[in-house]
Amino acid sequence: MKKPGLVGRILAADSAASMLALIAVFVIFSSVNGRFLTGLNIHGIIVSAAISAITGLGMTLIIAMRALDLSVGSIMGFSAIIAAELLAFGWPLWLVIVAGMLVGCGLGLVNGLLIVLLRLPSFIATLATLSMILGGQLLITQGETVPIHNAVFGSLAIGTIGGYLPLAAIIAALIFAVVWVVFHRTPFGRHVAAIGGDVRAAIGAGINVNRVTLGAFTLVGLLAALSGMMVAAELQNADSTIGAGAELTAIAVVVVGGTSLAGGRGNLFGTVCAAVLLASIKAGLNVANVSSLYEDLVFGGILIVALMVDGLRRGNRRRGMLVV
Amino acid sequence: MNDLGAQAVQAIDHGHAVVRATGIRKAFGGVEVLHGVDLDLRPGEVHALVGENGAGKSTIINMLGGRLHPDEGRIEIDGAPVEFRNPLAARRAGISIIAQELEVVPTLTIVENAFLGAEPTRHGLIRWGDARRRVEAVLSELGVHADPDQVVGSMSVADQQLVEIAKAVLGEFRVLVMDEPTSALNLADTARLFKIVRRLRADGVAILYVSHRLWEVFDLADRVTVLRDGSRIMTAEIGQTDVGAVIRAMLGTRSSLIAEGGKPRHAARVARGGLPALELEGVQSGELLQDISLHVHPGEVIGLAGVIGSGRTELAEAIYGLRPIERGTVRLNGVAVALRDPKEASRRGVFLLPEDRKLEGIFGHLDVRENVILNYDPNSEDLQKGQAAATMPRARSPRRRLGGLAPIPLKAERRAFGAMRTALGIRCSGPEARITALSGGNQQKALFARAALSGPSVLFLSEPTRGVDVGAKEEIYSAIDNFAARGIAIVVSSSELGELFRLATTIYVLRGGRIVAQIAADAASEEDVLKLMAG
Repeated sequence: MKKPGLVGRILAADSAASMLALIAVFVIFSSVNGRFLTGLNIHGIIVSAAISAITGLGMTLIIAMRALDLSVGSIMGFSAIIAAELLAFGWPLWLVIVAGMLVGCGLGLVNGLLIVLLRLPSFIATLATLSMILGGQLLITQGETVPIHNAVFGSLAIGTIGGYLPLAAIIAALIFAVVWVVFHRTPFGRHVAAIGGDVRAAIGAGINVNRVTLGAFTLVGLLAALSGMMVAAELQNADSTIGAGAELTAIAVVVVGGTSLAGGRGNLFGTVCAAVLLASIKAGLNVANVSSLYEDLVFGGILIVALMVDGLRRGNRRRGMLVV
Repeated sequence: MNDLGAQAVQAIDHGHAVVRATGIRKAFGGVEVLHGVDLDLRPGEVHALVGENGAGKSTIINMLGGRLHPDEGRIEIDGAPVEFRNPLAARRAGISIIAQELEVVPTLTIVENAFLGAEPTRHGLIRWGDARRRVEAVLSELGVHADPDQVVGSMSVADQQLVEIAKAVLGEFRVLVMDEPTSALNLADTARLFKIVRRLRADGVAILYVSHRLWEVFDLADRVTVLRDGSRIMTAEIGQTDVGAVIRAMLGTRSSLIAEGGKPRHAARVARGGLPALELEGVQSGELLQDISLHVHPGEVIGLAGVIGSGRTELAEAIYGLRPIERGTVRLNGVAVALRDPKEASRRGVFLLPEDRKLEGIFGHLDVRENVILNYDPNSEDLQKGQAAATMPRARSPRRRLGGLAPIPLKAERRAFGAMRTALGIRCSGPEARITALSGGNQQKALFARAALSGPSVLFLSEPTRGVDVGAKEEIYSAIDNFAARGIAIVVSSSELGELFRLATTIYVLRGGRIVAQIAADAASEEDVLKLMAG
């Protein structure tokens, strides 16, 4: 078999579509409006992309395992509220962050246990927990907004290093590195992909499917909690609107990033690219004075296109062809 | 252990064996399928296990692989009794099973698959470099040149199978069980596989080789064990037996039964003259099916014989429009047609009863009546007489015109179901009984009824009595006879030769995707056909 050249390999890469789209978006928006490439705008894009990328990286593993987690948005909100309440109690910042992440792990573990013990399909189990976690948020806050008065916590999202490099970007980069190593370099990560690729073969190879499932859902819970706290840091308060609809964004960045819903493989780099892409489009629409009411319409359209591309690629893979 | 088992222990050869199974019994749902079977595997031998479908080969394999547990009898490894609680336990004991249905993850690479579940790690991280080197070494030892980073799903079935073999070699398995390994391979790949099997044998691996193909057995094996109806009939050194003896052991006395006047009653029925209802000429489809020609007249039953992988399933799918036909002609009542998809095929009166009822045939959540009247269209009743207008696409009835939304007249539906229930003797507590509550035979009759109500002119039956008990078999046979008497052309594809001889006037034998013989059922014996199948 002939090895394709560099250009061919880039075009055939799973993340090619989102990278090309990203370049196109930057070219279009910056030529339409000079304000698109201003520092403040870019900073906003990076923070928003970092937040959706962190949850999206966890979701990439879930989708690679041929599962779905619809509760990530509610976990984001729940952890954010817990963190805000604990800060109000006067807990030290580091303990608050650890506690918030543990809450996320716990909720993720519950998702995993429901799936493993009750043999529920993951999207049903997480749809149920989504509703319950939202209910829990309302009970804790009584529908009120919890203010945050902690400047250091705020820098989790909007802080910079040297005035340019957003702290959020560094957190996201670290998470990317860790998740990449976990997915590609540990037995756990390969077992996640194996389960998504062919669960029968995975069982035959002696993989403990239940344990891997629990691990993956706990991990995505942890990452969602981190994202949620970063949103709260950006807003300087927490209420149950945090994370609303974030499960769709998370699934969108995974699929737009080139990870197939058919499972068996995951494209972490593509997820990051897609997170930046979606954040750029959002910011671009904003700068171009398009009403934010249109945002959801545009995102839905992008998701449909990404799913169509995924469907076409899957169809062609089955016939043994690789189509860009 | 009971008496029979104890005798069997004494009967077996006491040479050094890695694996020794003695007096294995197993029953499913009260029906015993293994009656005290013995089997031993020695290091450095290829031991062939042969027998017809249902002889108990898969049950034995599943026990060695830890997927089933014997009700009685024991399995020893190096003389020590073992009990495999799960597949992992069998793997740990050094037994690797290469199933017919390959167990590789298509989205992972060769190296990822080869080490799946047993990745070499340091500090929790997989040592890919090390893993890659070891896979490369094993692959080149097996004479395969492949990039370890290649994704397995993009490889041919033959190469995917080699990945499984590489996995077994890497795991240092001492016992390799191969279930019909050549069923999906062409000749060149088969030859390569044989070379590898011989190399593994030279390395001292004990290989249990399960195959329908007797020429493979005599080419490759050192010993052969024949199972029939759940009992071991013989175990012999390959040099001390021959194909005829093995075939006789596989068939037992049944071949003579057929010859002695168990001749089917339809044998007197003469195929009608005129144009064949279905005719294939030089049909080629995919890589397997080559130059297939056959014909069946209205009211005639023809049989298709062939081992797994001979192309019987593929041929059924090609005729039903599930596989593209690349070359050749399909004629219905003398008119060339292109059956591009099942919709087109059924519109022209060609129906397929699939091999796997549960997967492709019945709708488990519906009741019997709903299953039976699924394709029923009361307005096409005039077309149900059989040979009518097979070449003409059906006129669109009012129901179809409304995009399937027009209500089905309940009365007509009840009448149709009632008629079918009586005609075929479907036993159920009522029209509203869940189809899954019915026995296999009655489910099959329900599928027959569905086909009959859609007014077929050609009926393709794949394994019509698989999983059906003996009593219901005869009822299904007479239902098939009845369909034929009504002028429907019928093709029966079956792995049970007795069934083909019972039903068909002409038997076509397939091997390697080609028709190797067309024989009149009353002029041949099961043994003749089996020899043709084995090649």
